[in-house]
Amino acid sequence: MLSELDLSAIYLTFKLASLTTLILLIISPPLAWWLARSKLFFRPFIESLVALPLVLPPTVLGFYLLLSFSPDSYFGAFWIQLTGNGLAFSFAGLLIASVIYSLPFVVQPLQSAFVNLDKNYLEVASTLGFSSIKTFYKVVFPMTLPSFIIAGALGFAHTIGEFGVVLMIGGNIPGETQVLSITLFDHVETLQYEQAHLLSISLLIFSMTLLILIYGVLQQRQKRLNDA
Amino acid sequence: MMPNTSLVFSLRKEMLFDFVAEVPSTGICAIFGDSGAGKTSLVRALIGLDDKFVGSVIFNNTVWQDNNNFVKTEDRQIGMVFQEPRLFPHLDTLGNLTLANNKNSLYSIKSLAKLLDFENLLDKKTMALSGGQKQRIAIARAILTAPKLLIMDEPLSSLDAHSRALLLPFIKTLAKQIPILYITHSMQELFYLASNMLLINEGSIEAFGDPQKLFIDPKLSLVKHAHSGLLLNVENLYWDKIHAMLQGEVDGQTVYIVMDKPTQEQTLQIKVESKDVIIATQQFSHSSLQNCLNSQIEQIEKISASHILLTLSLGKQKLLAKITLKSLQQMDLKIGQLVFSYIKAVSIIGDRP
Repeated sequence: MLSELDLSAIYLTFKLASLTTLILLIISPPLAWWLARSKLFFRPFIESLVALPLVLPPTVLGFYLLLSFSPDSYFGAFWIQLTGNGLAFSFAGLLIASVIYSLPFVVQPLQSAFVNLDKNYLEVASTLGFSSIKTFYKVVFPMTLPSFIIAGALGFAHTIGEFGVVLMIGGNIPGETQVLSITLFDHVETLQYEQAHLLSISLLIFSMTLLILIYGVLQQRQKRLNDA
Repeated sequence: MMPNTSLVFSLRKEMLFDFVAEVPSTGICAIFGDSGAGKTSLVRALIGLDDKFVGSVIFNNTVWQDNNNFVKTEDRQIGMVFQEPRLFPHLDTLGNLTLANNKNSLYSIKSLAKLLDFENLLDKKTMALSGGQKQRIAIARAILTAPKLLIMDEPLSSLDAHSRALLLPFIKTLAKQIPILYITHSMQELFYLASNMLLINEGSIEAFGDPQKLFIDPKLSLVKHAHSGLLLNVENLYWDKIHAMLQGEVDGQTVYIVMDKPTQEQTLQIKVESKDVIIATQQFSHSSLQNCLNSQIEQIEKISASHILLTLSLGKQKLLAKITLKSLQQMDLKIGQLVFSYIKAVSIIGDRP
């Protein structure tokens, strides 16, 4: 059976992944929209910055985050002033790190959906007198909904699988920063293979189910659109 | 300041386009020209979809664009019907209409559905509809936004007969309430709908005015369309049972038109090709020709080495006749002379184009 420590790690991981996904689904659409539409010269720079977590070893990202979380850095000091708590080895720190780490997984599907969105519909929206906000909610969002689902799923799944960054900045505090991947690593380190198996297979089944559900829904939608 | 009901613009884009005109914002003004002349570019500039145009646009005293201002498309209160319907694919018909519906609209969704015959399509996904059905809904959608100006870009160019027959009289009636700019390259639509036209040629506005007058102006590029013939409006139609022919009047003069069956309509348009008009200085007493119109020569223009185009006034309407140089000289025709114009054949455009 899963131990209490395992269950607490599972709960923490899901809480982290859910909050991360939620934050990402709020900040990514405007960012992706800007990246899809902007013709400004520094756009490639911002685009690269967003994509960095894809190519950088998570430990490198974790290292820099750790430095910026320290009370000696401007950001770390500012955070302490704001909240009274340090960021390193805290859930809040983990959340900020996860948002940065999973950002490209949410931004990129949205950006490509926005690029491919037929501009004719945006023109229609403006001739119908829609504000940008109304155009986004009534036209862009429903027309690119599948990409939002994929983006959210990828962001969620990627956060669950996070290891390197957590290792650098999260430490291993049960109930606060001890996530699934770390717990699993601990089990293997201490040769508790049975526990490791149990945790791994649960995670595997969960991930597979999530992906089948999402791709199934998308396929149904595609079929409905084709039928019509 | 007097309330100024007009659309005044001066718009340029690089060396490509230079549009300057003042158009009254009442009734239907057609934007007419060949493909590629710049008709669509002009309306895109007018509604603010192409910000590469510099210059000014003023609509009923409201500045839409000048050197310092650029009102966004969504704030110009323009209704736009694009060439292709562009209905939102994720919504059904009613969803598309509801999204556009403005409380100040002259028409309700229900009344438009009835007028444009799509009541039974309200719950249908738009992707399943035919081109004509989609375009009728797109027109309803544009009207529902309560526009101050409606712009239509060849809305009927690819539609079925049912949709055209429904839309043309509707558009004509609608123009009594909302001013309409109507892009077309169909002479029939132009003559049926428009009281004014902007003639676009090679990226600029060549002329503005009454279509009937512009079509016979030899200085304009339009003349090549007109060479083949002009449209005439026939009024006071009456079905002559004995001879099984339609009788009607062109500027008060009687004409007979061969038709397979009686019509209920009061007016119709006919096209008279310039090669089908015979000019005579005396009335024929023994001929099978039925239609003879008293007319006055307004213009004599040489259009080729051997041929002359005569512009003939019938009163309000005009007729063109293509005759040979030899005939002109033999008959000694002069401007202002009264002649008889015999019409060999007419083609029926129908009660509406």
